[in-house]
Amino acid sequence: MAQSPESHRGGAVLTLDGVRRGALAMGPVLIPIFVFGAAFGIAARGAGLEGWAAALMSAVVFAGASQFAVLDLWQTPVPWVPLLLATFAINARHLLLGASLRMLTRGLAAWKRYAAMLVLSDLNWAALIAAEARGERDLGYLVGGGLAMWVVWLGATVLGAVAGGLTLADVQRYGLDLVLVVFFTTTLVGLHRKRIDDLPWLVAGLAALAAVWWLPPNWHVLVGGLAGGIAGLIQHGRRP
Amino acid sequence: MSTNDAVLVILAMALVTYATRAGGLWLVGFMPMSPRLEAFLRYLAGAVLVAIVVPATVRGGAAAFVAVGTTLLAVLLMRRALPAMALGILAAALYRGYAGV
Repeated sequence: MAQSPESHRGGAVLTLDGVRRGALAMGPVLIPIFVFGAAFGIAARGAGLEGWAAALMSAVVFAGASQFAVLDLWQTPVPWVPLLLATFAINARHLLLGASLRMLTRGLAAWKRYAAMLVLSDLNWAALIAAEARGERDLGYLVGGGLAMWVVWLGATVLGAVAGGLTLADVQRYGLDLVLVVFFTTTLVGLHRKRIDDLPWLVAGLAALAAVWWLPPNWHVLVGGLAGGIAGLIQHGRRP
Repeated sequence: MSTNDAVLVILAMALVTYATRAGGLWLVGFMPMSPRLEAFLRYLAGAVLVAIVVPATVRGGAAAFVAVGTTLLAVLLMRRALPAMALGILAAALYRGYAGV
């Protein structure tokens, strides 16, 4: 299970073999990513985007929830402020994901670190964190997972924009919406440290739910993550 | 939206999104590494995952509870992620079939 911090001291690496392992670890979630990507292509055409614009967005933004959100704001004149604020708010959770990778990027050249962050996403991050608990120290794991997701996301967007006909209801009918949730669930189990994590995780869950109920959409990951992290820090200070 | 505007909007979105992807690692780099910070980042990782899973489960309704509960149980018993995920999805599909939703 979770290892002592000392195991990090060797410094991080980024290898092709790590990229391969990370890509393979993404296998099961590539199916829902494909379906959501196709749904985005269709929805984008419906919102008035050209096919190439939908593809360009999937290629360079590569963040599904924010891509869907801006479709509602695709108007003339461009509502710049709400559009970019929504993009930031929905993607602000990445800040926490990136921060948590501090130990896994230590000693790597800056360009490698920041190039790897190009494909940072919840799913490949969760896969890396879960693998880290089993001894993985290769940032390539994140890159491989991200590249696999990027290829599928972009390909599916193009297909959706060209073909059309699929709706989000179809996604739900086959339970594909739940694949992502159960994937995150499995990564949680490997990460859990007995007793140590109980209180911080409870705080994180409650804070995230409170954010869902009382804050604007999409702040829950940031709020819950920070609350749980701070709870852990307080608990850490009190333990002998 | 004109072609020019569309390209500008997409590039601006890409910049904002990359700033969130790189910003966390960049900001944490200014903090001196200490056992406290290390402990915080470790708690942070777990807490972020919890903050993803719990609201998604609650908002997903009964089928999501069935899927997550089954997966959790299966992965605790079998210690293997893939079959556990498959069982969770299967259980949710069966539940949806029975409940007619």
